[in-house]
Amino acid sequence: MSASIAEVREIRAQIRHWRRGRVDTTLMEALSDAYIAVFSALVLGAMAANVIINLHVITSGGCSSVSCLDARDALGWLFGLAAITVVLAAARLLGPMLVTPAVGTWLLTTPLDRTALVRGRLVGTAVVAALVGAALAATGAALSAYPADVIGWLTLLAGVVCVLLVGAATVDQAREGPVVRLLAWSLGAVLWVGLVLVARDSVPALLRVPAVAPLRVAVGVTAVAGAVLLVLAYRSLRLIRRERLVSGGMLLPGISGALASLDLTLFYDILVARHWRARSSVRVVRGRGIGASALVWREVVRLRRTPQVLIALAAALVLPYLATALGLGHLMVMVVTFTGFGAGVGLFTSLRVLSRTASLLRCFPLPAAAVRGACLGVPGAVLVLWGLAATPAVHDAIGGAWATNLAVALACGVVSATAAVRWMTSRPPDYRLPLITSPMGAVPTSLYFSVLRGFDVLVLGTVPLLVAPTTNGAAVSMALMAAVLSFLVSRP
Amino acid sequence: MSAPGRSSKTPPLLRVRGLTKKYGDVEVLSGVDLTVTAGKALALRGRNGAGKSTLLRCVTGVDAPTSGTVELDGEAVDERSVRVRRDLAIVLDDMDFFPDLSVVEHLDVFARAHGVADAEQVVDEVLAEVRLTPQAAQLPGTLSSGQKRRLALASAFVRPRRLLVLDEPEARLDQAGLVWLTERLLREKAAGLGILLASHDPDLVAAVADRVHDLDRPT
Repeated sequence: MSASIAEVREIRAQIRHWRRGRVDTTLMEALSDAYIAVFSALVLGAMAANVIINLHVITSGGCSSVSCLDARDALGWLFGLAAITVVLAAARLLGPMLVTPAVGTWLLTTPLDRTALVRGRLVGTAVVAALVGAALAATGAALSAYPADVIGWLTLLAGVVCVLLVGAATVDQAREGPVVRLLAWSLGAVLWVGLVLVARDSVPALLRVPAVAPLRVAVGVTAVAGAVLLVLAYRSLRLIRRERLVSGGMLLPGISGALASLDLTLFYDILVARHWRARSSVRVVRGRGIGASALVWREVVRLRRTPQVLIALAAALVLPYLATALGLGHLMVMVVTFTGFGAGVGLFTSLRVLSRTASLLRCFPLPAAAVRGACLGVPGAVLVLWGLAATPAVHDAIGGAWATNLAVALACGVVSATAAVRWMTSRPPDYRLPLITSPMGAVPTSLYFSVLRGFDVLVLGTVPLLVAPTTNGAAVSMALMAAVLSFLVSRP
Repeated sequence: MSAPGRSSKTPPLLRVRGLTKKYGDVEVLSGVDLTVTAGKALALRGRNGAGKSTLLRCVTGVDAPTSGTVELDGEAVDERSVRVRRDLAIVLDDMDFFPDLSVVEHLDVFARAHGVADAEQVVDEVLAEVRLTPQAAQLPGTLSSGQKRRLALASAFVRPRRLLVLDEPEARLDQAGLVWLTERLLREKAAGLGILLASHDPDLVAAVADRVHDLDRPT
């Protein structure tokens, strides 16, 4: 029954042959799809470029003080650093090398050469990483009003660094080492320190507008290092375990599905589930209290179990102070509420689990409102405290009495917490509702609004503070949030 | 397909020594020792959560044990090794499918990837055996869970193999499927293959297994 092992290209050719045999798209349909794709890319690209140019004009005109100019110069660098950190984090999340679960089951379990199966993915990932990193870095450099040649070299540098990181991440994936995890944390820490320096108005000379000559050298050196790492990565491909390759392949369709249905909470669920699957077990902590207080205690335990959420929240506190350095004035309240929401939404995981299905809620011998209230008490208090910790930044930005600014900061914390509750308690789009025609096919009317959940409450609570950053504005904002919270907690 | 001799002095095909697996502080398996020789079947028995599937994942190199060794013909088992992939036919519970390849195409590509020269004939025979011939052109998404299970089992029989590792192969099979599975495993043994299976079906274990390893009992 056995003979020589088939070549990967033979297998691929066979699968391609089958697939081509069942293609049911006509040439006109393919051309029409291509036209829509190109047209959409051009329109969206033009819109993005327009936004960047306008922001560039605004920052150039409104930023004239020395501290603001220093901060703006540093932001170009920091944006670039953030871009490569994001690319590295995404690479680590997905593998970076991955295959679909079907390939994992039917091809990786055979004696086929794994390098041949995966090498195309290595090249593709490096190209995509370079493009994404370069685009993000170019945006940051353009917003910082760097000269055109500097923007060009910085963009190139970011792209090459991203290729290098993909190579390093692939080697690390095969060796199952901690290098990339440590590197991602280190980049995050460096970024944070940079933001702190800018916020403290002590921007080092290193973060000023770079000269072109050293940038050229950096691009050359990084390109050589990137090429070496790509070769090492190629030679490591056969050593990557099947589980590690399939893991990212299982994640990607879930994420794509969640984003395609504009269901960001589902996207969050997928990431959380993956995190806990990888962790596998935890140290047992016994419960305390009876009834709702037992749920409150469980929230305390959960916070202790996920200190990284608290660390991220604490680190994010630098952003309001950074906004002060940039002279954003009353817009500060928006920075506080949006940052608090973004960094603190992960505190409300229990609420998400209870809202996703009714099955768990039914297990508690308490009214649904009591269960939800018990689950949001501790994380809500943490976010309100976080808002209060931003009081000095609010005071610097708005001025006036400390008591007033304390009330505004308190309201900001309440707005962030309420928006997080709204986001976490959102329900998936209801496909039983009337459907409307769209280029994506028939979609329920609630689909488009599902992506706005959370942000709607943020706007509702932030507008009174923007219009009147006073005690009255804070009172109106908190009254609105109390009404929203009461609705969200008590609905069936 | 090779069929090694079966004298009592034949070295074991698979040897597991002192295998321990921990998830964090939780010890799922503790010092497991077992051997499987060619032409013999060893069944793993244990309550839910006893560690049967974990043991099979470690034995097949899918998971790395915390300590201990797993050897196939005296060589450490690692699923990245081409030799291990060639000799071990594994059906665990993590089977996935190409959404756009039919039942017969799955088996065909699998057989060809294993270098089976007469792939078409072998695939047709095995398809008939698992009663999936009428579904040969169907996509996996349209199969029932029992049919998917039969397709997964079929994947083990369209390729060369020396050791079969099966995790609850009886799961989701109907009565006729159980009868077929029992007969097939007996034929595999007679052909000189080693079998390691985890099962909750006492009839299947009694009919097929030469020895039983109880994971509920301390080793």
